[in-house]
Amino acid sequence: MGSVYRLTLRQLAGKWRLSIMTVLATLPVIIALLMLRSDSAPSVTEFETTVLSAMLAGSIAPLVVLAIAAAAFGNEVEDRTLANLTLTPIPRWQIALPKLLATITIATPFIAVSAFLTSYIAFVGDLRATLAVTVSAIVGVALYASAFVWLGLVASQAIGLALLYVVLWEGFFSGFAEGVRLLSIRHYAIGIMHAIDPRRFADITHLSPPVAMVMTAVVLGGFLIATIRRLRQMDVP
Amino acid sequence: MIASAEPVIRVNQVSRWFGSVVAVSEVSFDITPGITGLLGPNGAGKTTLLRMMTGLAATSRGNVTIFGEPVRDNPSLYRRIGVMSEHETVYEFMKGRDFVTMMGRLRGVENLERAVDRAIALVDLADAQDRRMDTYSRGMRQRMRLAATLVHDPQILILDEPLNGADPRQRVHFKRLLQELASHGRTIVLSSHILEEVEQLADTVLLIVNGKLAAAGGFRAIRAALNERPYHVRVTCDAPRRLASALLGLSSVDAVHVDPDGALVVLSRNVLDLQIELPRLAQTSDISLRRIEPLDDSLESVFGYLVEQ
Repeated sequence: MGSVYRLTLRQLAGKWRLSIMTVLATLPVIIALLMLRSDSAPSVTEFETTVLSAMLAGSIAPLVVLAIAAAAFGNEVEDRTLANLTLTPIPRWQIALPKLLATITIATPFIAVSAFLTSYIAFVGDLRATLAVTVSAIVGVALYASAFVWLGLVASQAIGLALLYVVLWEGFFSGFAEGVRLLSIRHYAIGIMHAIDPRRFADITHLSPPVAMVMTAVVLGGFLIATIRRLRQMDVP
Repeated sequence: MIASAEPVIRVNQVSRWFGSVVAVSEVSFDITPGITGLLGPNGAGKTTLLRMMTGLAATSRGNVTIFGEPVRDNPSLYRRIGVMSEHETVYEFMKGRDFVTMMGRLRGVENLERAVDRAIALVDLADAQDRRMDTYSRGMRQRMRLAATLVHDPQILILDEPLNGADPRQRVHFKRLLQELASHGRTIVLSSHILEEVEQLADTVLLIVNGKLAAAGGFRAIRAALNERPYHVRVTCDAPRRLASALLGLSSVDAVHVDPDGALVVLSRNVLDLQIELPRLAQTSDISLRRIEPLDDSLESVFGYLVEQ
């Protein structure tokens, strides 16, 4: 498994990709600083809704993860190197799991540092709230990664489809439709954030923490299993 | 092909279609140790067939077994199989040796360093093994890919157009290597669209045309069938009508047609004799031959003829 993991890390750590991720991850921090320095500083609720929920969890995190995860299998399908891995005697889960872990390994530092700095600035050093935001951001990274790694394997237009999903589903429908929240990665992350610091995030609309945790496990495991099944059944180019 | 020994690879009534396009149609054959050439023109279905034989692609109908086991969704079989596809599937950022080492590790090779040394020595690339593969020529990449295919010392080698991109020296080296591996009991299947390439290498030939198995057997039998086919040969000379009437007296010539531009088109069923008799006839008739060219010597027309038989 270590070989596939190291190979994927090397494949995904391209200069351009890392540069784009750095720019995206820096945005919420800059906006948090600007909001605090502004004369009409927003309330905590406004900050949570605008920067944490909509921007970090709803846009930046999925976009950063997308930039990496879609390439984890997508690039190998495109340049036909996937056959190098599938023509070996290792079980398919030992290809899918390290690919997912490598994706999470690369994306997590960007999102975790961004979430930590943004919330630390916004909550003026409140460590529990900062921890809640950072942990939920990491959970979001893992969930988006599992979904987009799978998508990169099944669809040739993975990035376009993922963008539609992020904009329409996570950004639009899940914001106002109660039932859609149950199928929204953003709301699982918010639910976990609430579980860690219920006092600070009491006003945010969220799923109950147990539901969020169960759904997190279901989505993470579900997409991993779907990826393994796809690897076993697909025609490898 | 009727195999005398127990088949290593068995392809049984295999078909594959993509929508309404039939790429491979009800192909059956057995492969035994030695070198088997899969020969056919471009687009004949060779690569699709090889992909099904390696488990990379599913069959629409029929099945492929290796050592009696289904090849599809059976990763453990790859301990005994080495596959080299026609595409340059290398990681350009890797050094050649690292690539071979990684492939060996993924296949669970014991004494990995020694196995890597041996595989790289086999393809004669020890001097370039510590260079990144994006600095390699196409031929070098092919050889390093072959080293990665050989690193676990597989009993079966399946190679899709392996000589693509190789220069003449590399071709000679490659052929010697395959012959040596075959002499040690390996089963080698290689595809090519070049008749001579397969002729020099393969003990047995499977001829694939339009997704079907057109002929199978020893190369000589197939070659003999090719020599009996009617050939059209275009001859340009300084006295076409005189040469035409002289040619009709030859037993190797079936018909002669004079083109409007003065060139002769000769139909022959015995092209080997014609090759000898035509220059002799021209010399004795004091006719200067300017150009002789076969009109239908392309591989496609050869295969087309065999399919009609």
